[in-house]
Amino acid sequence: MRCLVFSDNGDNAGEIISYFYKKMDIDVICNDSVIDYGADNVYKYSNGFSDNLSEYLLEMHNKNKYDYIILSSTNLGRQIAGIISDKLNEKCMPEIFSFEKNGKIVTKRFFYGGKTVLEEETGFKIFTISPGIFEAKKIDKKSNLTEAKLNSSKYKILNEKQKNASGNDITRAKIIVSIGRGLGSKENIEKIMPLVDALHGEIAGSRPVCLDYKWLPEDKQVGLSGKKVKPDLYIAVGISGQIQHLAGIRNAKTIIAINKDKNAPIFEECDYGIVGDLFSVVPELVEKLKK
Amino acid sequence: MDIIVLIKQTVDMDQIKLNDSNEAITENLPLKTDILSKNAIEAAVQLKEKYGGNVTGIIFGTEKATSSMKEAYAMGVDDGYIIKGYEKSDPLITSKVLSDKIKTIKNDLIILGNQSSDSYSGLLQGLLASKLNVSLLSNAIKIEINNGNVDVTTESENEDIIMESPLPAIISVAQEINEPRLPNVMKIMAAGRKNINIEDTDIKYGDDDKILSNKAPENKRKKIVYEDSKGIDEIAKILRVVK
Ligand SMILES: Cc1cc2nc3c(=O)[nH]c(=O)nc-3n(C[C@H](O)[C@H](O)[C@H](O)COP(=O)(O)OP(=O)(O)OC[C@H]3O[C@@H](n4cnc5c(N)ncnc54)[C@H](O)[C@@H]3O)c2cc1C
Ligand SMILES: Nc1ncnc2c1ncn2[C@@H]1O[C@H](COP(=O)(O)O)[C@@H](O)[C@H]1O
Repeated sequence: MRCLVFSDNGDNAGEIISYFYKKMDIDVICNDSVIDYGADNVYKYSNGFSDNLSEYLLEMHNKNKYDYIILSSTNLGRQIAGIISDKLNEKCMPEIFSFEKNGKIVTKRFFYGGKTVLEEETGFKIFTISPGIFEAKKIDKKSNLTEAKLNSSKYKILNEKQKNASGNDITRAKIIVSIGRGLGSKENIEKIMPLVDALHGEIAGSRPVCLDYKWLPEDKQVGLSGKKVKPDLYIAVGISGQIQHLAGIRNAKTIIAINKDKNAPIFEECDYGIVGDLFSVVPELVEKLKK
Repeated sequence: MDIIVLIKQTVDMDQIKLNDSNEAITENLPLKTDILSKNAIEAAVQLKEKYGGNVTGIIFGTEKATSSMKEAYAMGVDDGYIIKGYEKSDPLITSKVLSDKIKTIKNDLIILGNQSSDSYSGLLQGLLASKLNVSLLSNAIKIEINNGNVDVTTESENEDIIMESPLPAIISVAQEINEPRLPNVMKIMAAGRKNINIEDTDIKYGDDDKILSNKAPENKRKKIVYEDSKGIDEIAKILRVVK
C-alpha cells in the first residue's frame, strides 16, 4: 500500500506520517523538510497555491498510482482536496481522526458539529485529517528529499500579514489552563497567570476569548475550529463547555473545570469540577500549591 | 455584480437528543440555515448594496428548505432556487447538482461558507472551482472589488493573505467576515410572499460508504464535582501530582 500525503504545515505533516508509518509506504508533499518521520520521499515545494499544488499532486498520482491520498485539513489542504476529488472523480472523506484497515477501511470523524462521531466503512481514496490529533514521532532513518517543481500559479498575493503567533504550540503542551468568557476582561488574565506559572503550563482559551475579544492570540483557541489539544491536564476556567469547545479537548487525559454555574455542560465532561467563583477558586488553588 | 450564494439547510444540532445506546436521534428535528451560509448571504448582500447587481440563492435540499430561502430573501437575496433530492452529506454529489444549476445563471461571483456546520467538510469550494473552472479564494474575512478584480483577505493558520483574482471567482467565507443581519418584520413578511423556484434532480447516491455507528463520543470522565470548599483541597492534591 502506498499513500501520498499533503500538508502546508510541517507539524501536521509529521503527525500524519507518524500515524501511517509502517501501515503503508508514504510520499509527502510539504513546504517543510519533514524527513525525520518515516516517509520514503519528501517533495518540498515553495510558492504553492491551490492550482499549481493540485496539478502537482495529480501528476504525482498519475505517475505513481497511490492507493490513498491524504491531506491535512488546513485551509489550503481542504481546497486542494476538493479540486483533486473532482479531477479524479473520487470521493473524499473529510476531517477524519482515525483510519483503521483490516480488509475494509474504517474511519472516524465528528459529525453534527462535534455532537456525534461517525464511524464509517468506506471505499474512498482521498481523506482529509484534522490537525493536532496524532502524535508526531521522529525516527532514525531519513527520507529522500527532493525539490518539487511547481508550475506557476494564476494567483497573486498583494499583501501578507504574519499573525502574531505566540510561540508555544498548545497542541504539544502537557498542562493547559484554558480561559473562557467567564473571565470577564483581558486584564483579568493577570489573575490566572499565577496558576499557569505554578503548574508550568500553557494558557489557552475558548473561541470568544481568542477570536471575538482577542484577549489571547488566535493560535491559542481550543475547539472544533481551533486546536485539538491532548495534554495530561486541561483546566477549563470560566468555560461553559459548548460542544464545539469539547471537540478540541476529547484527548485530554484529565479535565478539571472551574465554573460558577453548577449546570454548565462542562461538568458533564470533566473528571473533577469545582462549582465556584473563579476569582476566589484560582487564588486559593495557587495558595495551596505553594505550600 | 451578479452574485450566487450557496445556502445549506441543516438540522438544528443543538436539539439533537441521544437514545439509550447513545445514538443521535435525527428524525423530526427542527431545521435551520447553516451558520456559514448566513455569513455567505450577508457577504453577498453587502456586495450588492455596494456595487449593485443581483443576488441569487441556491439550496440543494428538500421541500422543507423554503424556510431557509425565505430567511435569505428577508436578508436581501433577490431570487432563489431550491433543488430537491438532497439525502446526505456527499460533497461530490452536492457539487455536481450545484454546479449544473450555477451554469444556467449569469454570475460574476459565487459565495459559499468555508466549512458547513454539520459535516465541516470544506470540500465544496474546491469541487466547485474545479467543476466551473473559476478562481478560488478561500476563508475570506474581507472582499473588495477593484477594477474588475476581486481582492480577498484570506485567513489561514499562520497569516492573513490578501489575494487578487479576476472575475468570475468563487469565494468561501469565514465566520469572522461579518455579523449576519436580523431582518425586521416588514422584510420577513415581504419575503414570505416572494416566489421560490423549486426544481428536481435525478442524481443518484452511491453506496460506497457504510455508516457503522453515529454515536455521541464516549464519555469516560469521572465527573467528580465539588460544590463546597472541600473541592479546593482535593483538586490541589491532584494538581500537586501532575505538576
Ligand atoms: C461553527 C462554530 C465553530 C466553533 N468553534 C469553536 C471552537 O473551536 N472553540 C470554542 O471554544 N468555541 C467554538 N465555538 C463557539 C461555541 O459554540 C461557544 O460559543 C463557546 O465555546 C463559548 O465560549 P465560553 O465557554 O468561553 O463562553 P460562555 O459560553 O459564555 O461561558 C462562560 C462561562 O463562564 C462561567 N462564568 C462566568 N463568570 C464566572 C466566574 N466569575 N467564575 C466562574 N465561572 C464563571 C459561566 O457560568 C459560563 O459557563 C464555535 C461555534 C460555531 C458556531
Ligand atoms: N446542499 C447544499 N446546498 C447549497 N449550498 C451548500 C450545500 N452544502 C453546502 N453548501 C455551501 O457550501 C458551504 C461549505 O460546505 P462544505 O464544503 O460541505 O463544508 C456551506 O457553508 C454552504 O454555503
